[in-house]
Amino acid sequence: MNAGIDQGTLATAAPEKKEFWRWQENTWYDETKNWKDAKIITCGIDVGSVSSQAVLVCDGELYGYNSMRTGSNSPDSAKNALAGIMDKIGMKLEDIHHVIGTGYGRVNVPFAHKAITEIACHARGANYMGGNKVRTILDMGGQDCKAIHCDEKGKVTNFLMNDKCAAGTGRGMEVISDLMQIPIAELGPRSFEVDEEPEAVSSICVVFAKSEALALLKAGYTKNKVIAAYCQAMAERVVSLLERIGVEEGFFITGGIAKNPGVVKRIEKLLGIKAVDTKIDSQIAGALGAALFGYTLMQKQAAKG
Amino acid sequence: MNDGLFDQFKEWYEKRHDYARAWKARTGGQVVATMCTYSPEELLIAAGMLPVRVLGAHEPQNVTEPHIFGMFCPFCRDSLAQGLLGRFDYAEGVTLTQSCIQYRQAYSSWRQNVPTVKWDYYVAMPNDVQSPHSRKAHRAEVQAFRVFLQTLTGKELTDDMLRDALAVCDENRRLLRELFDYRKADEPRVTGVEALYASITAQFIDKREHNEMLKKVLAALPARKVTRPTGARFMTIGSENDDVAFMAMVESVGATIVIDDQCSGTRYFWNASKADDDVVKAIAERYCDRPACPTKDYPSHTRFQHVLDLAKEYKVQAAVFLQQKFCDPHEGDYPDLKRHLEANGIPTLFLEFDITNPIGPFRIRIEAMLETLSEEELF
Repeated sequence: MNAGIDQGTLATAAPEKKEFWRWQENTWYDETKNWKDAKIITCGIDVGSVSSQAVLVCDGELYGYNSMRTGSNSPDSAKNALAGIMDKIGMKLEDIHHVIGTGYGRVNVPFAHKAITEIACHARGANYMGGNKVRTILDMGGQDCKAIHCDEKGKVTNFLMNDKCAAGTGRGMEVISDLMQIPIAELGPRSFEVDEEPEAVSSICVVFAKSEALALLKAGYTKNKVIAAYCQAMAERVVSLLERIGVEEGFFITGGIAKNPGVVKRIEKLLGIKAVDTKIDSQIAGALGAALFGYTLMQKQAAKG
Repeated sequence: MNDGLFDQFKEWYEKRHDYARAWKARTGGQVVATMCTYSPEELLIAAGMLPVRVLGAHEPQNVTEPHIFGMFCPFCRDSLAQGLLGRFDYAEGVTLTQSCIQYRQAYSSWRQNVPTVKWDYYVAMPNDVQSPHSRKAHRAEVQAFRVFLQTLTGKELTDDMLRDALAVCDENRRLLRELFDYRKADEPRVTGVEALYASITAQFIDKREHNEMLKKVLAALPARKVTRPTGARFMTIGSENDDVAFMAMVESVGATIVIDDQCSGTRYFWNASKADDDVVKAIAERYCDRPACPTKDYPSHTRFQHVLDLAKEYKVQAAVFLQQKFCDPHEGDYPDLKRHLEANGIPTLFLEFDITNPIGPFRIRIEAMLETLSEEELF
């Protein structure tokens, strides 16, 4: 238990500038394979509001990816995301047969052959990551939240997005992380280190939550309890979105928040359904789906001659 | 299709206040701000007046809060704002025919707080138009409005004058139907944006002038070359919508809006009057019989089948609900109408509209909807 620790040490009082919100940027590729052996190499670039990913798919299988923070403009973010993986494996842009852009910046990916919405791409990516039994996808992205239904192929059959407000999204969690001065990756585990589960904070507005969190600390809440209250509020908000569309078995979560057990386990508890597990980074689902679409398009193009 | 065929309608829409001022200077007639498309325009036209429907400006405003609640629909707030901001300072009169209670309060605030208003008139049209008693009651209300206008102007409104005005309005309705018929084709010669310009301008341009313009366009349409891909065929459903930027966005990403059930579109002009020796009755019952607004669609929900029939007739592939935030009548209909359409093979998308709308996020939703309709190539 961390009851009572660190009270009064707020972000505004910290002399040392640390970026607690900064999540782990990462690059990965399958070292057991050589991309040069692949007949078809496709790439998906997801330029989101907070993070950008480039995913490489070789002959329809995930080969590698790079996930990093989105920069000030979409074309550069796309270029940097792709360069991050290509440089590691000695690949050049001309080695890639088809590139598909997705995410908010999808139409600004300079080398993309096609743009597809993140809704379709997340469903396709989730289908690959969680298998063909996935039917309901919750994408908890940087500044929006989507509930998606798909069929056994990963084709979208229905969807809903949050409106106007970024509450209950990754950016909100970043703000809380900075405010509490706790690294973002620790928020989830620490949200369970409480004597009793608190009520959800009443406001999960990214801006107002700050003042509410401060008020809770002043009222004697520990940091962990504040985080727990915020995680619960986020879970309740996304569950209300999910309930509008209905949740079917085969529930899968994509996006950065899927890495936060403090939110995920509370969503599972509220829904009474366990999310499908995956070993693949949940943040790359959109770019992965885009790359897989690229592969299908290339196959169909080849079949046509 | 950049052939300029609908440019006059577009110019009228964009410079509607300039048009009304010029009309007034030219004719010396009164301009009347009409709130809601149930207003019996025939009487105003017969009295030599120009009915000008109050529309919003789709820009942020801070003038309505003292008068009506923030949880009144955006159209109510935007309409009232236009009056308070003096955008209709050329209008002597303002009139409302009863539809929804929020708009009634916007009207009350308008007539009390817009200093340029010299007269106002409220037509107490029954909402239960399906009752035979209501039809008689509405005839009496239209007659009372006639008497009011006669007293106001000091001139008699004869039956012949009313018949002439009704004929002009009916011709406008017939011409707009004819124009909208072109949207049934596999490659429609009229886009959704163009159709909106044509139907919305009918609500504030002198009908005779509007009819002449419609005839010109209709004469040119058979030879018009379609220079854009049709894409998916969309229908829009909701209350008032003149968000041209939204419509243009939809039609720029692979869709064509081929029909609507909105009071800025088909609900305004869909039916003409029925011949009757009693011209007041003919005028009144035309409004009772028109495609219903949700406020006037009970106990039977006649609009559900009407909307589905439109969707089938215009080969609609998906319907987009343009829901004005806090519009209770339309939101009340939404769940059942959505089920009705989807049960009949028409997928739907729900978008919540405000005074200003986020085109970017709406674009994602529209494109995602398009992908659900046509993404077979991706699987």
